[in-house]
Amino acid sequence: MQILKHKTNIDFISKRKPALFISTLINLAIIVGIAAVGFNFGVDFAGGTVVELKYNTPTTAEQVREKAQAGGLHDVSVQGVGAAEENSFLLRMGGVTQLTEENAEHAKTAIQGLGETRSVYADMANGIVNFRSAQPMSVAAVKKAVEAAGIGVQEVRDLGANQGGTGYDYQVVASGMADKVFAALSAGSDKPNFEQRRVDYVGPQVGKQLRNRGIMALVYSMIAILIYVAFRFDFKFGPGALLAMIHDVIMVAGYYLVSRREFNLTSIAALLTIVGYSVNDTIVIYDRIREDMVKYKGKPLPEIINIAVNDTLGRTILTSGVTALSLIGLLIFGVGEIFDFAMAMLVGILVGTYSSVYIASPLVIWLDERAHAREGHAGGGKQEPKTA
Amino acid sequence: MDRGWWWKFGMIVAVTLGTIWFLVPTYYSLVVLDRNERNNIAVLEQRLPAWAPPAKYRLNLGLDLQGGIHMVMRVDTKTALQKRTERRGTQIATYVNDKKLGEVTADTDPERLQLVLTAKDPGTMDAIQKEVLATFTDFTVESRNGGTLVLKPDEGQVNRFRDEAVDQAMLVIRRRIDKWGVAEVDVRKLGTDSIQISLPGRSNPEQAKELVGTTAQLEFRMVDDTNPQVFAQMYQQHPPPAESHITLVEDEGFPQLSSPNREALLAYAKDKTPEGRDVVTQCVASPVKKNDCIAYRSYLLDKNVPLTGESLAGADASVSQMNEPEVNLAFDPAGSREFEKLTEAAVGRRMAIVLDDNVHTAPRINEKIGGGRARITMGRASGRSFEEWLGEAQTLALVLKAGALPAPVTVGEIRQVGATLGDELIKKGSLAALVGLALVVVFMAVYYRKSGLIADVALLLNGLLILAGLAFFNATLTLPGIAGFVLTLGIAVDANVLINERIREELSHGKSARAAVDQGYDRAFWTIFDAHVTTLIAGFILFFTGTGPVRGFATTLIVGLLASLFTSIVVTRVITTYFVHGRNAQSVSV
Repeated sequence: MQILKHKTNIDFISKRKPALFISTLINLAIIVGIAAVGFNFGVDFAGGTVVELKYNTPTTAEQVREKAQAGGLHDVSVQGVGAAEENSFLLRMGGVTQLTEENAEHAKTAIQGLGETRSVYADMANGIVNFRSAQPMSVAAVKKAVEAAGIGVQEVRDLGANQGGTGYDYQVVASGMADKVFAALSAGSDKPNFEQRRVDYVGPQVGKQLRNRGIMALVYSMIAILIYVAFRFDFKFGPGALLAMIHDVIMVAGYYLVSRREFNLTSIAALLTIVGYSVNDTIVIYDRIREDMVKYKGKPLPEIINIAVNDTLGRTILTSGVTALSLIGLLIFGVGEIFDFAMAMLVGILVGTYSSVYIASPLVIWLDERAHAREGHAGGGKQEPKTA
Repeated sequence: MDRGWWWKFGMIVAVTLGTIWFLVPTYYSLVVLDRNERNNIAVLEQRLPAWAPPAKYRLNLGLDLQGGIHMVMRVDTKTALQKRTERRGTQIATYVNDKKLGEVTADTDPERLQLVLTAKDPGTMDAIQKEVLATFTDFTVESRNGGTLVLKPDEGQVNRFRDEAVDQAMLVIRRRIDKWGVAEVDVRKLGTDSIQISLPGRSNPEQAKELVGTTAQLEFRMVDDTNPQVFAQMYQQHPPPAESHITLVEDEGFPQLSSPNREALLAYAKDKTPEGRDVVTQCVASPVKKNDCIAYRSYLLDKNVPLTGESLAGADASVSQMNEPEVNLAFDPAGSREFEKLTEAAVGRRMAIVLDDNVHTAPRINEKIGGGRARITMGRASGRSFEEWLGEAQTLALVLKAGALPAPVTVGEIRQVGATLGDELIKKGSLAALVGLALVVVFMAVYYRKSGLIADVALLLNGLLILAGLAFFNATLTLPGIAGFVLTLGIAVDANVLINERIREELSHGKSARAAVDQGYDRAFWTIFDAHVTTLIAGFILFFTGTGPVRGFATTLIVGLLASLFTSIVVTRVITTYFVHGRNAQSVSV
């Protein structure tokens, strides 16, 4: 069996300018979109709490929402997971601990009411209120006072006397949001009629760290691959491969931007895999170009590229097709982020194939032309056949 | 068939058999054993046939697939450093006043962790600065403005202190989790100030958070020295079972039981403990890795706890006039009275400082201690340097002060997956992988006929190799890992597509079957190699920067690519060569 019965002879290179133009346009639009609208960051990066619950009895998202609001959870979003009869819900909250801007003030007031205190400050990121008291305090009394202000307390830490003799240090650690969710939803019944299936809870600082590391991973891998390509091929192949990688990463980022699917750690993994895959595809064609450059010495480069792309077209389509085929299972049965991963990969495979033909290869021509132009200017001696 | 071919063929057969052999522990742990026993390596070891590889070489399921809790705790080293700077400030001020150099007050800048010394008489500052810098060498001058001197702690010291604080926190967390009795826990350092904890099979994140994050129970309890031979008698009258590895050791004239297994030691002593007493263990730290306990030793303590950490108002380390490191304790008024009473009645006895059910030290009470200030003098013996003892004193002071955690820890991240959800994810994940695999296998067979079937054989071997490779590295299969598995199979097929397309091309140029196959493989080799290496680079970077499930994905990708290089280039070639060269075929089925 064969997909392409006869050898194709499509002139890809002549369409490189409009293709490059459209690609640049879409890329710019995505970058502007990311800057203006931004990703729908998951808890991995934005920080916050996600709780997945499965009810034992038929329940709607609306009912869960009402119950949550009755329990004092106002900024919670409730979303059904899977089929309606599964009665599974995802509850999303921005906060990580019960310490919010608003009730941190209540906590401060409550602590100040206990006696002479100073430097009372809330560490929102960690859900901790620090304070220094003139007199030693009872841990139980502090806990009671803060809880009376409506904040769940996990622990009050006694850090001991300050060395300077200026007081005694304490830390009040607020309980997590998940605690509050269970309290609110199981209020009024002695046994909750739901099962807690999943809790994800990422502190804002950790989220920022994870995000930075993700971006660094992308940058590092691109640099490392670039070095490898420059080393294995000619230097003029490097920039094309790099540009194609960037193009593909932006396009896949565009999928997350447009679909509003959650952008999280798995998305970074998808982007990184696309980087690997994209350059993989580019290299196959580069390899052929290099081979044909030796084979058809004297032919202008654009023509060689056309031959190389046409010769490898069958395998390009097949390879992309087979990899896409392996993703079908994930697309049908994949849940949550795995579905997104497979979808992002699919987008990546398509644009990766496109970019290796229309982005990576034309750049080689352009760099080649530039190199010749410079040579012409500098020495004016060697006259290679003009490539245009 | 030449000799080279047979060698290669033999190697492939050996690799295949080895792969299957290597998957035996994985098969037992995931299929044969009951789900509850999945993580129990001891049970697995028993059930495995004698010829199987050791139980530790098995593929673990990630927490997202089997349910459990993944936590990242952040150690608040800044608070600990601030406290340390404060302590040093007090020491400096006391030193200056004792030496009659003048009078200074010490204050800390918590933001920059600097020490601000202000002299009452600015004229004395020159002398003070000189003397202080000569004695407290861990500080350098940041700025000086008349009678105000700003000191900065030495970077190296700060880093060491920070490392120690994190290590100490890790040790404490490890011990607490051990006490909880969770199998296969994983506690490791993450970056400079975070600790990553995996608790398979656990389902209550709030409980876990409480267990790991709370400050410890600090207790002062009397050691029962009325019968110093109690453990020696116990040992002689009831010889412990051999598998508990309990031995009798002597420490400063007191016989103690010692065992590398804490549970076994406690279980043995449980029904033999005298009325009103408890057996509490002490961790003997490994000389190489400070955070590992190489053995546990027994102490017989009074059940009654006269004093807890709540009565402690402060603790700090200093150096005595005898030039011995010591730890000074200060109690609150009620604690002082209790402590005085306690020491009066127990002169000559030992008092154990118990943290989280671990005897930290058990110093002897030399005299009645009144006034709420006690001192624990550290020894100078056993070949340890002064610095080591001083470090020990500082750690003990820190530990006493903030409970068992030398620096407060806060929860950075918790991810918990329920067991039923985990099961569902495994089912859906493997179904997805199988469907993808089946589609690819069918397609290859239809499209390339015999060569496609050869590629399919290689593909299946590739799948087995990935699983065995993961088992070998004791890696963890996560949900993204399954996605990585499927993707790698896709990439592996890509290599065969490249080769087969090349063979077709060579055939269309009129080459013989043999030449076409050889050329196809030779020409495609570097392309395949380059393509694999570039994806490998992405995989390695993902591995080194990623955490948790992402790391699982990266591991699968790396193992998969290496396996794919082998199967798509070596295995298919050997089989193809058999059909083309061996049978001396005139045509090749692609």
